[in-house]
Amino acid sequence: MKPKPTALLVTVVLLVSALSAFSHHSFSAEYDANKPVTVTGVVKKVEWQNPHIWFYVEVKDENGKLTTWGFSGGPPGMLSRRGITRDVLKVGDVIKVEGFRAKDGSNNGSGGNVTFADGRKVFAGSAEDVVPR
Amino acid sequence: MRKPRKPRKLILFAIVALIPVVTRGQSIPRTADGRPNFTGVWAGPGFTHRVGPGDTDTPRVTTYDPARMSPFKPGGEAFMTRPATSDSVKDDPTAGCLPNGLTRQILSPYAQQWIQTPTQIVILYEYMHFFRVIPTDGRPHAKDVELSWMGDSVGKWEGDTLAIDTVGLKEWMMDATHDSKPDQLRIHSDQIHVSERLRFIDPTTVSYQVTIDDPKVFTAPWSQDFQMKLHPTWKIFEFVCEENNRCMFGKCTESDVQKSGR
Repeated sequence: MKPKPTALLVTVVLLVSALSAFSHHSFSAEYDANKPVTVTGVVKKVEWQNPHIWFYVEVKDENGKLTTWGFSGGPPGMLSRRGITRDVLKVGDVIKVEGFRAKDGSNNGSGGNVTFADGRKVFAGSAEDVVPR
Repeated sequence: MRKPRKPRKLILFAIVALIPVVTRGQSIPRTADGRPNFTGVWAGPGFTHRVGPGDTDTPRVTTYDPARMSPFKPGGEAFMTRPATSDSVKDDPTAGCLPNGLTRQILSPYAQQWIQTPTQIVILYEYMHFFRVIPTDGRPHAKDVELSWMGDSVGKWEGDTLAIDTVGLKEWMMDATHDSKPDQLRIHSDQIHVSERLRFIDPTTVSYQVTIDDPKVFTAPWSQDFQMKLHPTWKIFEFVCEENNRCMFGKCTESDVQKSGR
């Protein structure tokens, strides 16, 4: 069944609100809410730094070409106050990331929702547990 | 015939009725001089205040409610509500690590530490390391206040209520409303006058009323009520905005792993 446009709109609005909720600045200053992105790959590096954590995922496309995507999450302090600590993402983890692309068109984005291979979900970006569905 | 009330029930009723009176007067933290003691690390209005396991709390963007605002003066709405320009430098200077300003800082979803002495309150905001040193000895504002992002604040005690008065703020962002309305932002003028009134409502919760009087924008002052929650296990963290601001103003830089992976 196709989702109703209204439901989609509500989801997007909630998501954008939630993504911005963790931010040190406005979401729209850097990311494009009209360009969602979903990738699955291997974590290559985690930068647990201000003003936002960044994590990098190496993704192989159907032709075998490797691309390393960078995703921004919440600030370290905010994440820790929600009980999310720096060891939540490790190099070598296989994860699916759902987020929104950077406005400059580079292979970077805001990573609002992270799902591990075993199905566990970590809301690296969202402050209010509203995530892409 | 109705049975007379048992004294035991009356005593129990009296105890229950007195509990709020006793807790209101005695259980809030107090300093040696008897003032309510705001010393501690707080989650300000920018949190849900739903305290979870491990003293966790959930940050959220909080903005001023248009329904609370007074009517605009002629031209006031156009002054305050600006269309977004798609230039992040203008639309959200914090994307380049510039200050958020007092009215937005009050609602910041980061922790803040309060240090109280008999003559002043010091507030250390985690977000961008801003601070306020607020005398509470009843002195007025200085006459030669320079405009700044955090303004000039003076405080005084009105019984158990701490009243803080701030002037001298630059024309700047009022709050982070551009996230819920990406096509616009809200600006206050340099004539804004901010009043904060804080009062404990239980030992870890403070009622936090903010009154905004911006005569260039509104016909009258208006107020909005928030809360702060004390988190005994928290400390404020270092927050250096420039440390790894990789997509500053919307232009991302490549990381080493992205360069080596090409």
